Amino acid sequence: MKVTVCIGSSCHLKGSRRVVEGLQYLIGENNLKDKVELGGTFCMNNCQNGVCVTVDDKNFSVSPDTVEDFFKTEILAKV
Amino acid sequence: MNNLCADIGWKSLNHVGEQLCGDHIEIIETGDDSTVCVLADGLGSGVKASILSTLTSKIIATMTSQGIALEECVKTIAATLPICKVREVAYSTFTIIHLIQNEEAEILCYDNPDVIMYRNGKQYDYPFQELNIEGKIIHKARVKIQENDTFIAMSDGCIHAGVGMSLNFGWERKEIAEFMETLTDVGFTAKTLSTVLTDQCLKLYGGNPGDDTTALTVRIRSRQQINLMIGPPSDRNDCDKMVSLFLSKGGKRIVCGGTTSTIVSKYLDKPIIPNINYFDPEIPPTATIEGIDLVTEGVITINRVNEYAKDYLADNESYKQWNYKQDGAAMISRMLFEEATDINFYVGRAVNPAHQNPNLPINFNIKMQLVNELSESLKKMGKNIKVNYF
Repeated sequence: MKVTVCIGSSCHLKGSRRVVEGLQYLIGENNLKDKVELGGTFCMNNCQNGVCVTVDDKNFSVSPDTVEDFFKTEILAKV
Repeated sequence: MNNLCADIGWKSLNHVGEQLCGDHIEIIETGDDSTVCVLADGLGSGVKASILSTLTSKIIATMTSQGIALEECVKTIAATLPICKVREVAYSTFTIIHLIQNEEAEILCYDNPDVIMYRNGKQYDYPFQELNIEGKIIHKARVKIQENDTFIAMSDGCIHAGVGMSLNFGWERKEIAEFMETLTDVGFTAKTLSTVLTDQCLKLYGGNPGDDTTALTVRIRSRQQINLMIGPPSDRNDCDKMVSLFLSKGGKRIVCGGTTSTIVSKYLDKPIIPNINYFDPEIPPTATIEGIDLVTEGVITINRVNEYAKDYLADNESYKQWNYKQDGAAMISRMLFEEATDINFYVGRAVNPAHQNPNLPINFNIKMQLVNELSESLKKMGKNIKVNYF
């Protein structure tokens, strides 16, 4: 599974660092490092819905406060 | 004509409690790759010292740059300086470093500590002669300059640092020379070297300088061009034109901005590989594109570089940050402030609709203003700047 977080200017200001760090932590905690590849990307041209995150080409809008829920429903449940 | 140029920077500390510095630096470029740098130290401290040193350095710099002999300059100073009522003398010491057509350096020193010179990272004892002009003993030397030669001129505040406090006899010239030796060939700028020296003096003075303290550094280096591209062009059809011009120039290349790096990556047909390491929580991570030396986010990163640049010209407190950190802004700062002598900006004027949200501090006007401010600051650092808009 490939998870990509936008680190462009707009998403950065909306908290992509905390989203990246949240996901890094949760992936580590759940021993998913072998199964989930976490990466960054520059602007996905969807700034209005930032922080933009894709899971295997499917788009999501995540905020630092919703990282944990997002991880449970979209990553942990499907991996 | 050769490929050398001079990087000149200085830093002063004021005598404790004084608003004005009694040391003064004057630098005049005379066009034919020659530069006159004067460091003058006026008698006493405060307003009086400041007037004496300002007059002295202005007179010497202006006259020397016009090719007038030193004897005349000294006579003029003696005839011009106001006489101190308390001490009944008119007095300001001075050091002159005159770079002649980037080939030779003439060093003249009157009552200041002798200029320290480094060649290939080692202290270099240049021969000098003693002149007697109007009863003033002046040390004069002339050396052929090479790449990486570094000259450090000081006011006596440096060698008196810590007298009777942390050191018995102050910080002797010999010890200063040893202290700075290891720092001269690692690529620090003249401004940073001067700051390191005065910071150490401040420490020895226990935070309260007992004298005006100034260091002036001149580094001889080769010219180095760096190209920086930021923002997509206002007309989409100009993308290829902009990138090909950007890539056609020699020297290192920096690309700033998400969309901008996508344009470059398409042109080169090389993928963008982003990083997700946050070395600084406020600065977005960098990325890599094969063939480009540095790829960063745009406006937030440049905003930080602009802050560093402003501080560099003022107190230079933040060199401790940008000098070693690994985030995009610190890396751009090192390339622009330290490595570059000539910088070409390629600025795209497209408006990013996503950035026009009034809640985001990154709108179009801010971006243009940032580029203007940054290029002004870089000019003040003595760099040749060209800005191309698309």
